Amino acid sequence: MTISTERKPLVDGEASASVLEPQPGAPLAGLIAVEHGKGVAASYAGRVLAMMGATVIKLERPREGDPLRYEPPLLPTKHSSSAIYTYLNVNKASVTLDVASEAGRALLGELLQRATFFIDDTHPQNRAGWRIAPADICAELPDLIYVSVLPFGAFGPYAEYRATEINVFHSSGEGYLLPNGLALEIFPDRPPIKAYGHLGEFQGGTSAALAAVAALLALPAAGGQAVDVSVQDANVALSAMTLQRYGDGVLETRPTRSFTYGGVLECADGHVQILLLEQRQWNLMLKMLGSPAWATAPGMEDPMTRGKRGKLINEHLRAWAKSHTVEEVVRLAREAEVPLGKYFSPHDIIASEHERARGFIGEIALDNGTVVAMPTFPFRLSESPTPTLRSVPGRPGEHNDAVLGSMLGHTSVELDLWRALGVI
Amino acid sequence: MKPLDGVRICDFTLHAAGPYGTHYLSMLGAQCIKIESRARLDIHRRPHPVYGRLEPAEFDQGNGDKYAVVLNLRTPKGVELAKRLVSVSEIVAENFRPGVIRRLGLSYDVLKQLRPALVMASVSAAGQIGPEWADPGYAPIFAAVGGLGYLTGYEDGPPVELRNMMDNVTGLTMACAVLVALYKARKTGMGEHVDVAAREVASSFLGDAMVAASMGIPVQRKGNEMPYASPHGAYPCTGDDAWITISVKTQTEWEALARTLEATPLLEDPRFSDASRRWLNRKALDELIATFTSRHDRKALTKRLQAAGVAAFASLSAKDLAEDEHLRMRGTITDMTGPNGNTRAVVNAPWRFEKTPARMDRWMPGLGEHNEYVFGEILGLAKSEIARLVDEEVIW
Repeated sequence: MTISTERKPLVDGEASASVLEPQPGAPLAGLIAVEHGKGVAASYAGRVLAMMGATVIKLERPREGDPLRYEPPLLPTKHSSSAIYTYLNVNKASVTLDVASEAGRALLGELLQRATFFIDDTHPQNRAGWRIAPADICAELPDLIYVSVLPFGAFGPYAEYRATEINVFHSSGEGYLLPNGLALEIFPDRPPIKAYGHLGEFQGGTSAALAAVAALLALPAAGGQAVDVSVQDANVALSAMTLQRYGDGVLETRPTRSFTYGGVLECADGHVQILLLEQRQWNLMLKMLGSPAWATAPGMEDPMTRGKRGKLINEHLRAWAKSHTVEEVVRLAREAEVPLGKYFSPHDIIASEHERARGFIGEIALDNGTVVAMPTFPFRLSESPTPTLRSVPGRPGEHNDAVLGSMLGHTSVELDLWRALGVI
Repeated sequence: MKPLDGVRICDFTLHAAGPYGTHYLSMLGAQCIKIESRARLDIHRRPHPVYGRLEPAEFDQGNGDKYAVVLNLRTPKGVELAKRLVSVSEIVAENFRPGVIRRLGLSYDVLKQLRPALVMASVSAAGQIGPEWADPGYAPIFAAVGGLGYLTGYEDGPPVELRNMMDNVTGLTMACAVLVALYKARKTGMGEHVDVAAREVASSFLGDAMVAASMGIPVQRKGNEMPYASPHGAYPCTGDDAWITISVKTQTEWEALARTLEATPLLEDPRFSDASRRWLNRKALDELIATFTSRHDRKALTKRLQAAGVAAFASLSAKDLAEDEHLRMRGTITDMTGPNGNTRAVVNAPWRFEKTPARMDRWMPGLGEHNEYVFGEILGLAKSEIARLVDEEVIW
């Protein structure tokens, strides 16, 4: 098989291939990213690029597809899919490819001829065997940006360690410090916890997307290059303040990290978060509460003395909150300009007028016609269209014909052969 | 050579997420000019009683490598000088409360007249538009409003406040947005106003929960659980407050775990004979696993479990991070020495670029440390003129 060195423009495909068409006006329109990964971090990096207008071709394993299709909660779709797969792969094209096979590796090379980015999270041992390590790929394609996304990065003593979200999150400093505040008061002897879901991997994915675009900006001067992104590194950055305090001589632990007062307050029907960092905010809170005697007692005006009476302050704040609904507390705080917010559930966010007005919540139909809601993207660009949700891949390899046939120019006979051999 | 060599940022950000965002850009090589005033100091130059700190911070991670000037934006001449700095910058960043930058006369609409390809980033709790745009917010508040706090916590406990990490997550997203906009601006000659809402950054990290919720699937706090993985959690080890995290899904991993922990009788226990039984009996299994892990050192056990093919890692404190050989080798943790001769471990850039390495090289600047360089060399003001503006409390 010969590999074309000519970069061909994208061609119009069938209706199901509309995600292959550039989005007019989108910042990364016209660029192609090939995503070969099975973890959340690499997949989220691909999502960021897709929402910014890049054409993202997601490579899934032939037949069963991406393992994240099977991570609960599953969705009642025609083809196997889950909530996390749906969220991560919106606006991507799905191609099945066994890159471990010789024909699959050659097809990968053809795809990368047309790509600006290659995002890969293959374990380093397999990369070497499949000839998809950065050294192999970048030697063939000097203008390609190869973004390696691994739990602990591509070099260093832990480079080959296996990790899931809980391991990598706790390897970065933040897990050791969760929970604090009210949850820790109630359960002081329980093990530390992770943040919800895949936060650490989302952070890793954001870091990878940023690195990809930074390398894109450097492309004219430096040419293509490999970037080694470690999910752990990205999450260690979250511990910047904690490490800074360690440098000041304070080693944070779950109990010592808790705010001396404020934090999570339980209302009659839910929870709110209050935080009073500045004197001005303490004064605003006094006004909101009607300056009760306990809060205006001698010593309370001084922030340091006040800090030593955190338990007393919290007793009063909690009693006050418990006698109100969340809605009442939020309204009072808003009127008084006290920094306070409701603990929103996912339902609350979907229903939020604010988020709807900002175009943050979008809707997308699944392959069975069911419509689901999800975030579009967490920032707005004034001169670019708001990212729209176009489609989610149904079956693995839904776009094989459009990508390997129409885009790469292979015949249906070749595609049938590769299907029979399990290459695609 | 760094990726953003030659890029200049006019940085009005003073608090947490904003400075973290421009810090990422400055580690990538952008020249970041931090604009403060004696009336508007960066939060790290002020006392922080909540942390028991009554002095300015000795070091602030978010401001390493930056160039610091003072400029009184309450004076017309201060605003004029700010505009001159904007006109020689590709990027502007601010994280005042929405509306403030407009009142100062430095809104995007004004600044893009000076430089049509300008990329301006505004970071706030709820964004620049939308019914709740004026809501104030600190990290734990926008983590709460964004849904991450609600879903983090023990199954039978309250939500959990997420702290500084949320500022950093927001800063990283802002930096990513700025680079995307910068790419487009260079290509089209047209700038962008980037509106980052911190609560949306939090929500975007739980998009899967929103998909599920919109289909009526309940999504709740679950502690350390991941569906159908067991054992999966943080387990005690020898020493005070010492933990290891273990994540097992497959039968092979389960058997490797049991053997490494010398807990082979568990392999004979019918409650744990396959993945679905382990999941159903996970609470009992967690208690048993804890009795075995508590005999081991967390770091030695990490090595042994990894060698056996089990995803495991110690829960690391700040001290652990500062001393970690892997992070040191990668340059993620480095030492920096300040003007007073104190050396401390700092968090450095999180990416390893093959050709254009990113890195923080310098300690945070003193207040107004680069006034002469920025106003003199970059803007071309004479020394006498700078002195006069200092006297007039414009450079102040």
